[in-house]
Amino acid sequence: MNALVAILWKDLLSEWRSRDRVVAMGVFALLVVIVLYLAAPPGSGPEARAHVPGLLWVAWSFAGVLGLNRAFALELENEALSGLALAPVERGFLFLGKALASFVLLLVVQLASALAFALAFDLDLRPVAGRLALVAALGAAGLCTIGTLFSAIAVRTQYREVMLPLLLLPLLVPVLLGAVRATNALLLEGTLPWPALQLLLVTDGVFAIVSFLSFEVVLDE
Amino acid sequence: MSALLRARGLAKRFGPLLALAPLDLELGPGQALAVLGPNGAGKSTLLRLLAGLARPSAGTLEIGPGSASRSRRRRAIGLVGHATFLYPALTTRENLVLTARLYGLDAPAERAQRMLAEEELLAVAERRAGALSRGLAQRAAIARALLHGPQLLLLDEPWTGLDARAAARLSRRLEAEQAAGRALVIVSHDLARVAGLAARALVLVRGRAAWLGPEALGDEKALGDAYAASVNRLEAAA
Repeated sequence: MNALVAILWKDLLSEWRSRDRVVAMGVFALLVVIVLYLAAPPGSGPEARAHVPGLLWVAWSFAGVLGLNRAFALELENEALSGLALAPVERGFLFLGKALASFVLLLVVQLASALAFALAFDLDLRPVAGRLALVAALGAAGLCTIGTLFSAIAVRTQYREVMLPLLLLPLLVPVLLGAVRATNALLLEGTLPWPALQLLLVTDGVFAIVSFLSFEVVLDE
Repeated sequence: MSALLRARGLAKRFGPLLALAPLDLELGPGQALAVLGPNGAGKSTLLRLLAGLARPSAGTLEIGPGSASRSRRRRAIGLVGHATFLYPALTTRENLVLTARLYGLDAPAERAQRMLAEEELLAVAERRAGALSRGLAQRAAIARALLHGPQLLLLDEPWTGLDARAAARLSRRLEAEQAAGRALVIVSHDLARVAGLAARALVLVRGRAAWLGPEALGDEKALGDAYAASVNRLEAAA
């Protein structure tokens, strides 16, 4: 548990000082919101606008992948990853620390881009804010758990920037399916469908357990 | 005397390339082994294998008692590698506190403070590791490796980048660690320094090994002659 807190502290402190991940993720998410606004501006047909809330996940998932690509890049400088691998701790807690740091950063980006999204599309998110935050957090948890595992794999490959999305996005289908359905229903009908939430909870749980257990192997040579 | 390090038939291949031919190695408390050889001989590969950072293609490796858990084996090792393992965005002090936390040490801040004082790094304690000179970063890396009091020190070119005063202090520190019962494996091209520390040397050439005994480690000249002869013999055999 100490290791989890230590890694979380290290990653967030490093990010606070450089702000390179959160700025890149935030700018990217805002650009996607702008593109969505241009594609379906206020006044466009209801069919076009019916899919817009779910498309918010395009911004969040790609911003998340962008951040995850950098998550292990800072472990490459001075071969810090080897130093981490030497530590006498359960590797799963190192994974949790890294995943939690990415999760916190993605939540910040989600909050900022959701506000921009509400402004652009003239939506009042206040009545559904709590439930939307729950869906956003569950989606981000799924993205960051399996994403951290694959980021650790991709970081040692030659084409790591390309490799991570190629490996990760197919696996994210159940997360995105649940998150998009839940967000659509929430923003268009004001309801939160239980099956979509269930899918998110189960996928998050499976991803977290698999990643926790397999990080030992991934961190080895 | 129980060995701190026991390797039997330890070997490493990268595809068709033989990085380290099967090697037997044993090291007890207070013993120091010098690992010598030209560039690309397999010295760093050997250190990575001993540290558990690479998996051997063949052979067995025991660190500490044979039944020691993986966590205890890792705790027994302190590695100074080619790279410093420091996070550039964190200060020297923060890097040491992080290490202390990862190793589960009591009072991490106090341990870090003590090590900074011992290694004369207090003046750069609040400086980010990314802004340290090569020599200061190397000293911080050494402090990081010694922080948890490891029983086995694996040192890859530890004097690299150090000025004369810092290099001499490191040599004294390693002598003290040896006297306190720590085992040392030192990879270096600095024959004068390793001759003063180690009683045995392992010469590697293209992954193949030859041993030099205490008679060859009396002084720099004797070690230089024995080393050159071993390299010639191993290259002729390769």
